[in-house]
Amino acid sequence: MKHLLTLAAAAVIGLGGGASAVLAQEEAVAPPITDFPREQTLIIHNPEQPATNPPNFNIWVAGNGAAWSNGLHQLVMDTLWFIDPDAGIDGALYNQLATDVWQYNEDFTAMTVSLREGIYWSDGEEFTADDVVFTVETQMATPGMVWSAPFTENVASVEAVDDYTVKFNLSQPNSRFHAIFSVRWNAAWIMPEHIFSEVDDVLAYQFNPPVGLGPYTLHSFDPNGYWYVWEKREDWDRTALAQWGEPAPQYIIYRSIPSTDNRLIEMVNGDLDMIHDLTPEGMFSLVEQRDTARGWFPGFPYAHPDPTLPMVIFNTQNEMFQDKRVRWALALMLDARAISMASYRGAATLSAIAIPPTGTHPDDYHIPMQEWLEGYELDLGNGETITPYDPTIGLQVADMVRPQFGDEVPTDEAAIRRAFGYGWWGQNIEAATTLLESAGFTKQGNTWMQPNGEPFEFTINTFTEGVINRFGTIVAQQWSQQGVQVTALADPQIYSASLPLGDYEAATAWSIETWGGDPDLSFFLDSWHSDYVAEPGERQPARNWQRWTNADLDRIIEEVRVTEFTDPRNLELGQEFVKLMVEEMPVIPVMSFNVFSVYDTAYWTGFPTAEENPYANIVTNWSNSKYIFTQLEPTGGM
Amino acid sequence: MQDYLFFALKRLVQLAAVVFAGVSAAFVVAHYSPISPVETIIGRVAGQSTFSPTAIESLRQTLNELFGLNAPLHEQFINFWVRFLQGDLGPSLIAFPTPAMTLVMLALPWTVGLLTVQIIVAWLIGNILGGLAGYYQNNRFLKAFGVMAIGIQPIPYYIVAFLMVIIFGFLWPVLPISGGFAMNVRPSFTPEFILSVLRHAILPITSLILVGIGTWFLGMRALVSNIVTEDYVTYAELAGVDRDKIVYSYVMRNAMVPQLTALAMALGGIFSGTIITEQVFSYPGLGTLLIRAVNGGDSTLVLAVSSVAVIAVASAIFIIDLIHPLLDPRVKVG
Repeated sequence: MKHLLTLAAAAVIGLGGGASAVLAQEEAVAPPITDFPREQTLIIHNPEQPATNPPNFNIWVAGNGAAWSNGLHQLVMDTLWFIDPDAGIDGALYNQLATDVWQYNEDFTAMTVSLREGIYWSDGEEFTADDVVFTVETQMATPGMVWSAPFTENVASVEAVDDYTVKFNLSQPNSRFHAIFSVRWNAAWIMPEHIFSEVDDVLAYQFNPPVGLGPYTLHSFDPNGYWYVWEKREDWDRTALAQWGEPAPQYIIYRSIPSTDNRLIEMVNGDLDMIHDLTPEGMFSLVEQRDTARGWFPGFPYAHPDPTLPMVIFNTQNEMFQDKRVRWALALMLDARAISMASYRGAATLSAIAIPPTGTHPDDYHIPMQEWLEGYELDLGNGETITPYDPTIGLQVADMVRPQFGDEVPTDEAAIRRAFGYGWWGQNIEAATTLLESAGFTKQGNTWMQPNGEPFEFTINTFTEGVINRFGTIVAQQWSQQGVQVTALADPQIYSASLPLGDYEAATAWSIETWGGDPDLSFFLDSWHSDYVAEPGERQPARNWQRWTNADLDRIIEEVRVTEFTDPRNLELGQEFVKLMVEEMPVIPVMSFNVFSVYDTAYWTGFPTAEENPYANIVTNWSNSKYIFTQLEPTGGM
Repeated sequence: MQDYLFFALKRLVQLAAVVFAGVSAAFVVAHYSPISPVETIIGRVAGQSTFSPTAIESLRQTLNELFGLNAPLHEQFINFWVRFLQGDLGPSLIAFPTPAMTLVMLALPWTVGLLTVQIIVAWLIGNILGGLAGYYQNNRFLKAFGVMAIGIQPIPYYIVAFLMVIIFGFLWPVLPISGGFAMNVRPSFTPEFILSVLRHAILPITSLILVGIGTWFLGMRALVSNIVTEDYVTYAELAGVDRDKIVYSYVMRNAMVPQLTALAMALGGIFSGTIITEQVFSYPGLGTLLIRAVNGGDSTLVLAVSSVAVIAVASAIFIIDLIHPLLDPRVKVG
């Protein structure tokens, strides 16, 4: 027993001694996380969980556990075009490895691409058309790779016309084939033919260290996948990104930090320059504690609106939601101000129309359509009409948060509208009542009854946490207060099971995602065609979760399919789509998905800003964030 | 001796039965998970890209075929056990085709290192101080320690962990709050790396010890409090036997048997990982791996982690059963 005592004492002393040795520093400063020169190092939060398979960099294999947004797809990978979700450095469309935009033949059965000359892989091999051909042919021949299915579906053959020209012969007309090589968040990355042609089993190949066309190479990584360090290539000027300047950081570190609190602390300690996301409360706290930290907007609401549109989705195959008067009645029962306050603490960017209010969309859709929205007359079904649109909702939310956030809230009306939204449907219980009554519903006490005599009650599936969960909860509460008994269900399988299988009545999620930097809506809209709508009980492919069909919608989609991407007619078709969505209300669009991304200007400046230079998305896991690195300048430290 | 060998053989059969039942139960649970690994992968691959509905369906069929998920469950069950007996648990479905055990072995050393030290330190301190507190019931220091242990023990672990992060990472930022080691050192048997690992382990390990010590302390104090009222202790005191000898040789040694059993079981439980610790301190380990496997619907990886945990706990109990008769003569094996 004496030995045990001795051992215990030794353990305590060891632990205590170790701790005290660390604690006995002269000054309490945050321990350095690295010896890399801080003034040359950019440290970025990677929102992915630590990589499941840390040493795997083979980004072309589906489900191999390789991390993507650990710097691999931002710093090493490259492809033909990028379409920025914001304004871009010189326009949202970047000709990256291509010298020009896509060239289709007349009936969209062939696409020809000219490639840049003088671009080199990080191991010194020159990039040529053979790499592009190899990328397509290898994935077509190897099911289980990320882009195998889209290539197999679209490509009849691909050929290198010469070293710098590729021609794709398509198996069916497709005016949006180039989208496969156009990065929104990611796209089909080009494979190094000289590496992979030597590999026997492409699916099992780890591709470690990765050889890329981007300006950085792998320096080191955590075998447990928590961090990856990338170093600038000496020949960075032989990459396509060099067209926009030299990336400033010598080293870029991506760190997975699952705990929100830790992210906040790490930035306060100077160990993080960019955070992918915080909670609204975390964001408010951080900008209060760190003078050099800021979000996309200079003040409230801070967050970057992603080109994604959280909404109420109705399962239109459910009998309850097949009458548009019912859907409209439910929309008019909602108070968007309360939704904004409850979900985002007021930091939501509202949108009444089915387009996310972000990137170039406000200039293409929200602002030009204000007049139409303000004049829009809704038929209540009893001969009466109302004009439901209230262009002041965003301004009202700004006024609501001003007492708490003071000068942080913009006062300029244009700035308020861009940050808080251009308006929404005014809550109108009387009109909602008329609509429901005209649809055959009756009210007994405070409970609405359906025409079949059953109570009007349903469940709304929502996320298990975060702003979308709060959104679902407040919506259920508002409807319940008006006599529609709605229960919010936190659903961990909302995207993987409930929405695809139609196993839901209503949901707060999204079925609309756009390019952000271009008015073309094909990114999500093509999948809404009635050809793809599954029978009840069958699995619905992304993204028409509402399973809504409409002849006018099909007509719009079919015309988009034969309209070249850059044709201004796409914007007209987009606006027609918006009007149809307002008329039919198959989903209730509410707001953009605002991401509380933060960056710190203590060590680096030149980040994009909403008010002055919105040249890129600051949300760190988008591969487009690579352009930011060319615009940064070191401050020389704190 | 023959009795003991028969007893050991019986226990061995029990061990095999427990492992079979435990792993089979894990197989059923893992395969009835509503989460599909294929849908998880499709969500990641196609969620942010321009995949047409037909391309998504084609990818779904390919992955189902590749992962062998089209086979009936009983066929998958038999295949699993055939592979299991050959030491192969199959490829992970969220890191395909990497063997699931490769991923487990990557995370295992961190969890084992962290929890072994934590459990042994907490066990030693808790039992020694608990034993002394049970015997010297009027000692002020031990009383104060008892109050502290009782005070900390009911606090949820995540609160203690967050408090440590806030105190030592924010208010007085002197210790690393993320990761297993610093970025500027390479994993190797060098003093630099070992010191870095130790430094990063201080906060997670201390938080675990703080909440773990109370259980051992209170358990041992209660055991000793009962034993000191036994006749033989009173007799020894009256006979003038040295008090240290009474405490360490008569009292604590007798009280130690159930605590040793509990220690072995706690050590066996190490292989389940510490999910909250790993999440709060961004610390590598089995817990995070298991969560990721569950969230990704990776039944193979869930089974690999579960199998390691089942085998470890069952083996710990098996070893206790074998050594118990040797430690405690009151236990009969006939």
